[in-house]
Amino acid sequence: MLRFVVRRLLLLLPILLGLSILVFLWIRALPGGPAQALLGERATEEAIAQIEREYGLDKPIYVQYWRYLETVLQGDLGQSVTTRRDVTEELRQKFPATIELAIAAMLFSTFFGIPLGFFAAKRYGGTFDHFSLVASLIGVSIPVFFLGIILKYVFAVQLGWLPTVGRIDVLIELEHPTNFYVIDAILAGDPAALWDVLKHLILPAIALGSIPLAIIARITRAAVLDVQNEDYVRTARAKGMPPAVVDRRHVLRNAMLPIVTIIGLQVGFLLAGAVLTETVFAWPGIGTWLVDAIESRNYPVLQGGILFVALIFVVVNLLVDVSYAFLNPRIRLS
Amino acid sequence: MSIAELESREIQLERPQGLWSEAWQRLRRNRGAIIGFGLVGTFVLVAIFAPLLAPYGPREQNLSLVREGCCPGPSADYWFGVDALGRDEFSRILYGARYSLLIGVVSVAVGLTFGLILGAVAGFFGGIIDGVIMRLMDIMLAIPGFLLAIGIVAMLGPGIWQIMIAVGVVNIPIFARLLRGAVLAQRENDFVLAARAVGVPRRTILGSHILPNSISPLIVQGTLALATAIIDVAGLGYLGLGPQDPATPEWGTMLTDTIRYLQTAPHLAIIPGIAIVLAVLGFNLIGDGLREALDPKLRGRA
Repeated sequence: MLRFVVRRLLLLLPILLGLSILVFLWIRALPGGPAQALLGERATEEAIAQIEREYGLDKPIYVQYWRYLETVLQGDLGQSVTTRRDVTEELRQKFPATIELAIAAMLFSTFFGIPLGFFAAKRYGGTFDHFSLVASLIGVSIPVFFLGIILKYVFAVQLGWLPTVGRIDVLIELEHPTNFYVIDAILAGDPAALWDVLKHLILPAIALGSIPLAIIARITRAAVLDVQNEDYVRTARAKGMPPAVVDRRHVLRNAMLPIVTIIGLQVGFLLAGAVLTETVFAWPGIGTWLVDAIESRNYPVLQGGILFVALIFVVVNLLVDVSYAFLNPRIRLS
Repeated sequence: MSIAELESREIQLERPQGLWSEAWQRLRRNRGAIIGFGLVGTFVLVAIFAPLLAPYGPREQNLSLVREGCCPGPSADYWFGVDALGRDEFSRILYGARYSLLIGVVSVAVGLTFGLILGAVAGFFGGIIDGVIMRLMDIMLAIPGFLLAIGIVAMLGPGIWQIMIAVGVVNIPIFARLLRGAVLAQRENDFVLAARAVGVPRRTILGSHILPNSISPLIVQGTLALATAIIDVAGLGYLGLGPQDPATPEWGTMLTDTIRYLQTAPHLAIIPGIAIVLAVLGFNLIGDGLREALDPKLRGRA
């Protein structure tokens, strides 16, 4: 097991290195180069020359890359052009918002996806099965932002049940030691604030979680159908084990493998899909941050943000691989 | 099973159907795929004949229709209502089909072409070439697809060609991996060995033996990629990274400002959204149907 983890970690290194080269070259491929990207379009020649000297941009490209790598490894992602604050500091503030939303979306899709797929498989070929197939097909065909708009229209504009934008009502005062508002509200012992934060989470989480929900339901259905016909399930039934126990102990447990994998693989989608969901609901996370950065040509933020998200994505995929190997001995031994 | 039955089976086996005709037979019996073909067919026809079908021009404005509350909804003259600038929503949806189809097809074609070349080269030659190409693909896959597209558009600047390139590039590693896997699986086959033994040049082996046999997973993935491309393009358009002329009737771009009018004119958000969903659904249905029809494990079970 340890050897497997070490091997996977070693495989990660060239990818991370390549990623840093890609992001480094990306900012050099921008029209006008990094100095202009930093100063904006109306920068004077002298200012550009000064910045280039200051940041060592007149040095050979491999020297520049080495310096870039050094600063990134020290946790320095540069400064935001618009706010003049450190990119890492802004990340620390924005990232919890995105994670909170992603976790809420994941909980929603898992809690509904697994039972939906399970019962569809149990009633294979029946009405419920057909219904879930059609629903999951439509689910993967709806763009996240369109679903967000529809949810907003129905539950916020028409019914007025839920808030339309943001993470918390502006009138509620809450300290933010962690920037995870749910945790902040619990820490503050403020049930009214917690309720308000949860209400703000519901619609974005449903919008973001709908596609993972459809995918999880489909995979669960396929996995349960597969396992149901295995010999050990038949044996368990033949020896008179109650159906509920067979389902729990033999069917679901063995079907969990592909389900866990697919849940892990959704993380990349959640991080990317968050960009659109956050835009619809004006959610102050990484997504809106990056979109604002494109509009204001805030390249340090884009560079740091994309590098950071890719890093998270790679690490989570590694964890999925490792947990998969942990659940299935055949993989780590091969 | 009686001997007569066994014999009749063997007789059947003497005339096996080709993969394609058999797949077509199975596809025809798949209700979902038929609906998919209907949706995509309509989509393509609308895109081609938009100028004939549309009652108004996509940029034609009639500001007298717009009152304080913004935008009257569907009526006999304007089937899908009117947008904030007094343009006929129905005509814009029809013309928008052109953009979505064009952008989707071009971007998938970009991804398919480069992915095909890279994957085939990597799989066929192996060794260092394979290592370098596939590590490069791994790096591209390390960035979530939509974010990679955003990064590319940020680099190239917003615009219709730029989003086509961006979505296309995102597709490259997916196709490269797929084709490499298929080529690797084919490379060890007896007919490849035979071709090599009689001295057929490598390029010919790749082109006329390996590629044709790897094509079916590519077709499936290509169809599903079209669905994703349409969603991604609409997403980029929604973020304002699409065509910079706001009069362009691109479906995603049409959704951009609609949240402001959600209370008074929900049709502006709902109608382009439904158009996107139907187009994507069509390609997804065809893709799923093709996957089932071309799956060798299911062959002969029709």
